[in-house]
Amino acid sequence: MSGPHGLMRLRARQAWMLLAGGTVLLATGGCGSGSSSGSGTTSSGGGTTTPTPVNNTLSIQASSGATNQFFNLLLTTVTICVPGTGTCQNVPNVLVDTGSTGLRLLASSLTISLPMVSDSSGNPLGNCAAFAGNTYAWGPVATADVTLAGETASKVPIQVINASGFPVVPEACSVGGTNTDASSLGANGILGVGVTQQDCGSACATAASELPPIYFGCASSGCVAEAVALQQQLQNPVGLFPQDNNGVVITLPALDTGGDPSASGSLVFGIGTQTDNSLIGVQVYTTDANGNFSVTFNGSTYPGSFLDTGSNAFFFLNATSLGVPTCPVNTSFYCPASTVNYSAITTGTNGAQNTIAFSIANANALFNTGNNVFNDVGGPNVGGFDLGLPFFFGRTVYVAIEGANAGGVTGPYYAF
Amino acid sequence: MLASCNVVVESKQMRIISTIVILVCTSTIPAWAALGQPHESIKLDMQRMKGKLATKEMPGYSVEEITRGDGSVLREFVSPQGQIFGIAWQGMTMPNLTQLLGPSGDAFQKATQGTHHRGPLSVHVGDLVVETGGHMRSFRVRAYRLDLLPRGISEEVVQ
Repeated sequence: MSGPHGLMRLRARQAWMLLAGGTVLLATGGCGSGSSSGSGTTSSGGGTTTPTPVNNTLSIQASSGATNQFFNLLLTTVTICVPGTGTCQNVPNVLVDTGSTGLRLLASSLTISLPMVSDSSGNPLGNCAAFAGNTYAWGPVATADVTLAGETASKVPIQVINASGFPVVPEACSVGGTNTDASSLGANGILGVGVTQQDCGSACATAASELPPIYFGCASSGCVAEAVALQQQLQNPVGLFPQDNNGVVITLPALDTGGDPSASGSLVFGIGTQTDNSLIGVQVYTTDANGNFSVTFNGSTYPGSFLDTGSNAFFFLNATSLGVPTCPVNTSFYCPASTVNYSAITTGTNGAQNTIAFSIANANALFNTGNNVFNDVGGPNVGGFDLGLPFFFGRTVYVAIEGANAGGVTGPYYAF
Repeated sequence: MLASCNVVVESKQMRIISTIVILVCTSTIPAWAALGQPHESIKLDMQRMKGKLATKEMPGYSVEEITRGDGSVLREFVSPQGQIFGIAWQGMTMPNLTQLLGPSGDAFQKATQGTHHRGPLSVHVGDLVVETGGHMRSFRVRAYRLDLLPRGISEEVVQ
């Protein structure tokens, strides 16, 4: 069954695209390289017609990242095309991130020229993404047809990170370290497939005296935060697919003690739309509008908790409140003398509950194994539990998009 | 804006702070109040954030809370001597920590350079502790200086 919301958004954007002008050369590589792929989708004509099933499974790999400098990075390959054309390329090593929304690609990874988006005043539109590690990504909004497995989303607003010739990052965006290349990002881009359909949402859609520093109109005098309609914001590409558009299902294998060099799994599109994504045998935890649910640990409840494939550890509490020391040099990770086993209770906003078990090993000992993927690395977090990539190993996890009917339950939700 | 900057210059004698303030003033952007700075500077933050200020008196310290139009909240924890010993942030985006950490900003920046992990940061440099967390649309930060904590007050109040 295909959710109707994506189709409506698509029509709105097509009308708007006619107003957007100009293209910009975002990379020096020129056009025409890379592969071309067919649309891979068929139109259902709406109503109760069942769409012809397409390949909805994308291969994903957890590893040390594009430059072998990280650990627990979940990567995949995305195909982008100049909208409406066969001018396409594959971008490998793109981070799969349930903790953010929208496709963001390093300008240096692009060999095709994508049309740049202008705001309602005709100025280039800039986008700023903030990350919990006190880093940011800055660059223009462009549009691309995005193909993932056999699914294609048309004219998707994406961010091109660190595009040459684009205005310099405004002060309101440049907080912390910058993500400008594969070395700083660990990947060629980020595929944000979280529970929200837009990266910012309504807070950026209405003119206000103080907007979040996320969208900027870049006149020659500089880039100023401005309101941008929901349809023009960065989108979860999955929500724009003609079918299988209500969420994703992530499956990763269990790991060996002490980790593994890498791990391969699947990113399946749609929930309850095909035979491979049925919502069966899992507990559904609905979340708040931003993807937060609750974790109860040692008698305390942490409502700002979430599932995030883009975080490379279990991040929760701190050395004092957990009673486990952080590592001597890298204080962002725990270094217990020996592995500690924990259990916690996950609770959705729907009241659904279950118990999860996890372990935290000495992070330095893990890193010294030479392996790249671990299911028992942890560190501190402010607020709730950041159930990062270690949580996903040995599990199948469903992430449903806000407002979408996903297997009979309306998102946003997580299920596992 | 320039007048506000002058207030800060007069209240701080340290050469480093004066230099920072002059740089900021010439770009006509008011300075931020920051960790280790006097309570009066919070008024600048209020202007900078175009936010609303609420003060809570707690036993042994006070909390100045600035709420922005977009819902972001900055809490500054003030000692009885009028010094900011902790800050906490909750918002859709991350704050500018280099500014909010004041004189400790450089040490924080150095400690976080070249890290190769994706996720929250937990930084301990001398008496400075900075912890970040959250995800897109939902970020949290807390920072404090152990040497500035009022007597008998736990760092756990900085939330």
